[in-house]
Amino acid sequence: MNVAADPWVWVAAILTLAVFSFLYRENPFYRFAEHLFVGVSNGYAITFYFHRILMPYLIEPVSHGRDLWLIAIAMVGMLYFTRFIPKVSWLVRIPIAVVLGYSSGAYIPRAIDAQILQQLRATIVTRSSFATTLAGPGWQLGVWSIIIALGVIATVTYFFFSAEQKGILKPISRIGIIFIMVGFGASFGYTVMARISLFIGRLQFLLGDWLGLLR
Amino acid sequence: MTPQTGREKRGFWDRLLLVDRRWLYVVIWLVVMVPMLFPFDIKPEAMPPVRKLFEYIDSMPEDKSLVISVDYTPDTRPELHPMAIAALRHGFATKRRVGVLCLNTVMSLGLAEGALRQVSEEFNSRATTREDSIINGEDYVFWGWSYPIITVLLGMGERITRVFPVDYYGHRTESLPIMASLKNYDDMGIVVCIAGSSIPLSWVNYAHTQFGCQIGCGITAVSAADFYPYLNSGQFTGMLAGMKGAAEYEELVSEKMVELGYEWDLPRKGTEAMSSQTAAHLAIMAFLIIGNIAFFITRRRKQ
Repeated sequence: MNVAADPWVWVAAILTLAVFSFLYRENPFYRFAEHLFVGVSNGYAITFYFHRILMPYLIEPVSHGRDLWLIAIAMVGMLYFTRFIPKVSWLVRIPIAVVLGYSSGAYIPRAIDAQILQQLRATIVTRSSFATTLAGPGWQLGVWSIIIALGVIATVTYFFFSAEQKGILKPISRIGIIFIMVGFGASFGYTVMARISLFIGRLQFLLGDWLGLLR
Repeated sequence: MTPQTGREKRGFWDRLLLVDRRWLYVVIWLVVMVPMLFPFDIKPEAMPPVRKLFEYIDSMPEDKSLVISVDYTPDTRPELHPMAIAALRHGFATKRRVGVLCLNTVMSLGLAEGALRQVSEEFNSRATTREDSIINGEDYVFWGWSYPIITVLLGMGERITRVFPVDYYGHRTESLPIMASLKNYDDMGIVVCIAGSSIPLSWVNYAHTQFGCQIGCGITAVSAADFYPYLNSGQFTGMLAGMKGAAEYEELVSEKMVELGYEWDLPRKGTEAMSSQTAAHLAIMAFLIIGNIAFFITRRRKQ
């Protein structure tokens, strides 16, 4: 056993145990750790944004008489603070509109390509779907491609609300439910794995870095 | 007597369903802790998404750089940090130029810097020549963080030094030797985005769709199901999902390093966690089965 000598490791370990204490019941130690985390995170972020964004990209060039147009941009950004003055709070819409307009303009065309067209293309079964790759033998990949195509059709049918789900739509949407449930199962399995992983990480820290019980 | 017996029989399954959840926490704690102290041998077998990413990085042309986008925060560190460490080891061992940046949040910076410091020290502490050493600004660059994401991703397609005029350590990026051959996406073999959020999709939207840059991702297990469609469509070259994905990649990198003559016994947090992970999964499966049996027995009795 080789217990850590670094006081910061002790601080982290004690805070970890304080957070874990919530598993028993809510208590002052947990609340202290929670509030400390929120405070430190915000303090760190604000300081960082000031030194890494405002200083090099605005204050420094403007104070040296360079890029004076940045002052106008900064003024638009400052309008976010009008939120706190009821009489002129409508001005907050200006920076929001600028950000939304820019983001949407940049995002939508690329998202249509990346998230819709390329995804649709990936569901089309072609001869190349049966090609052997690193992922496995060709026939196997081909079968999976067919299953994916059927799954997409069945699942989209389940969410097709423009017609009553009877006749041919009914069995197809039933198959769609099966695909959706398999998807939920996979998500749940992965979620369990993720949560356990996080717990393992904390125990590796407590038993290893703090108490020195691990290699 | 009869009601008493009936209550006793029903009581066991009812009590099982009503057991205080804190006992389950104790069981999980023990199930995770004991294999950590007394691990059993598990060799992670690399799945195709992991193998594809590894093979791609391994076989990309020598003049292409490996770029790692570190976009996770301390809350997802156990799953994602081993991936970053393994990717850096892979890049340095195969003599790739490596670029590291953060897009999502400033909280990633400390983690990225820690990973770079750890891996470069692993190499430098054993180096005997310049070729074996890993030097900041020549073999790797840490650009730091910039904002907003769209501007960074589009700007990197033209000139990285315009997006990151100074690196994390305050050096002018124009003055760094590595930047002479790492100007934009054309010089990148692949970008591996390690993230606990949807940032890999931003890389797909902008860097892949617009500039044709290859994207790999390392993600938390909880978001793996959402990312598989992009792997299937080829928009992701490969994918590491959760701690298991990290362990598989660590294993491949470890084998590669031995092949290259780096026979070092380096810590591998992902692989080391597999005993606990396996034991915990078995316990949870047992909980699910016992819980369902108890549920159906009590329901039948009530009916």
